[in-house]
Amino acid sequence: MNLKFIFTFAWYYGFKIIKRAPSYIIASLTTPLSLLFVVYILTSGALVKYAIVGGMITLVASIGLSSAGDATFLRLQLRLQDLYVASKVSPTDYMMALTLSFLAFSVPGIIVYVSLGVLYNLYSLFDSLIMLSLIVILIFSTSAISFIISSAVKHVRNVWGIVSVLSIIMTVIPPTFYPYTDIMSRNGGNIIIYLMSFSPATPAAILAQFAFGLQPIVYNTLYTMIGILLTETVIYFAIARYLTRWREN
Amino acid sequence: MSSRITTIIGRNGAGKTTLLRILSTQLMPTSGKATIFDLDVVHQAKEIRKRIVSIPQEASTIGILTPMEQVSMYLVGRGFSSADAKRATLDALDTVGLHDARNNPADTLSGGMKRKCFVAMALAANADVIFLDEPTTGLDPISRLEVWSAIKQLKGNVILTTHYMEEAEKLSEEVFLVESGSIIDKGTVKSLLKGFENKVRIESYRKMDNAFRVGTIYIKYVPQDNASEFIKEGDNVRKISLDDLFIMRGVDIES
Repeated sequence: MNLKFIFTFAWYYGFKIIKRAPSYIIASLTTPLSLLFVVYILTSGALVKYAIVGGMITLVASIGLSSAGDATFLRLQLRLQDLYVASKVSPTDYMMALTLSFLAFSVPGIIVYVSLGVLYNLYSLFDSLIMLSLIVILIFSTSAISFIISSAVKHVRNVWGIVSVLSIIMTVIPPTFYPYTDIMSRNGGNIIIYLMSFSPATPAAILAQFAFGLQPIVYNTLYTMIGILLTETVIYFAIARYLTRWREN
Repeated sequence: MSSRITTIIGRNGAGKTTLLRILSTQLMPTSGKATIFDLDVVHQAKEIRKRIVSIPQEASTIGILTPMEQVSMYLVGRGFSSADAKRATLDALDTVGLHDARNNPADTLSGGMKRKCFVAMALAANADVIFLDEPTTGLDPISRLEVWSAIKQLKGNVILTTHYMEEAEKLSEEVFLVESGSIIDKGTVKSLLKGFENKVRIESYRKMDNAFRVGTIYIKYVPQDNASEFIKEGDNVRKISLDDLFIMRGVDIES
């Protein structure tokens, strides 16, 4: 793996762009912060801790998913991918480099949520490490989904609509802003949660709710969700790697 | 390292880009065999990729990054250390005339400067074979001259595609004429233009069926003779358009 390229690319395409075009950060923070506000008002602050933890999950997952737009733009519009095909860069290097760039896009938003978490006494060092692990896994899994979408899209304009719909379905509907037990306690709740788990945000949000003590730990659910999150990350990444049109047919 | 520029020339849709993309391992051939340095483009792509640079036809710069950053980033991808990448980038940008604009965001550069940024990538990469797909398409005549000048600085074997005969004349030693995916003629520019000495080339563009079409003819240039613009009908001399002239001379207007 060409780590030097991965980090250099992420430095230029991630951090440099954040510095020069901060509007992207504001755009990515708009939805989770708006939902945080709505949750705060509707529950008179009762579920605000869920919204802070879930907001961070939503932020990272939606940035990962919306990176499909970037991946498609770089491939079809700028032809950047073609440029790197004829070089030592491998498809995995390229995917990792873009993923790390997207993680960089998340950093300012994460700082906002960490500040909110500190304000509400949500974090301990251990919780923060778990959250960091969840964020890294989440950016990998959602970026992999975005690569799958990007590889199927034939024109840049088609990708924006797909990403908007998917972003809502995969980050807002899962139990990111509400207790996962609200679904589990209903008839067929288990099945609904498993169906929702096609989005990596679902297991990530449930694990975060356990980690931050928002829900008592149910070990069966804990292990199942860890298994689902890791397995689907590997599967999504493998599919993306397979489908990435490094050399076109 | 000395350079040798070979041009693949043909009209739009002739197969120039397809050929280049197959040779630069970006596109899988449907049949046949192609090798570079005796390496098969299908089975030994990884080895080939280390020795080539390919600048796609519609490659565009990342608007928010500077030429310095884009070229450096590309070179690190090719295995340069950060320090070597920076040094090679500075040299290359200097050579192609982008030294003063090296720290300006690509958004602020002209079309010609953006193309030169890619030529700088090819130059700095120091590859054995450089593929340039229509490097001057869409540029104004002055920008085109600047890009030609930058291309002339490239070292190694350069294979470029174009549909401008003038570009082939100015840049290359050897030319391949491509039509419908086949090479229909090859040779030096001089040998291909044999029989057209003392003639001028006239190209006319006109809109037909919602598409611009081009016709090219070679007309003997005689200063006193206005035949290319006027036609004599009896005692009357009538000015005609180039399109009419093409039709009269039986030249097909090509897509």
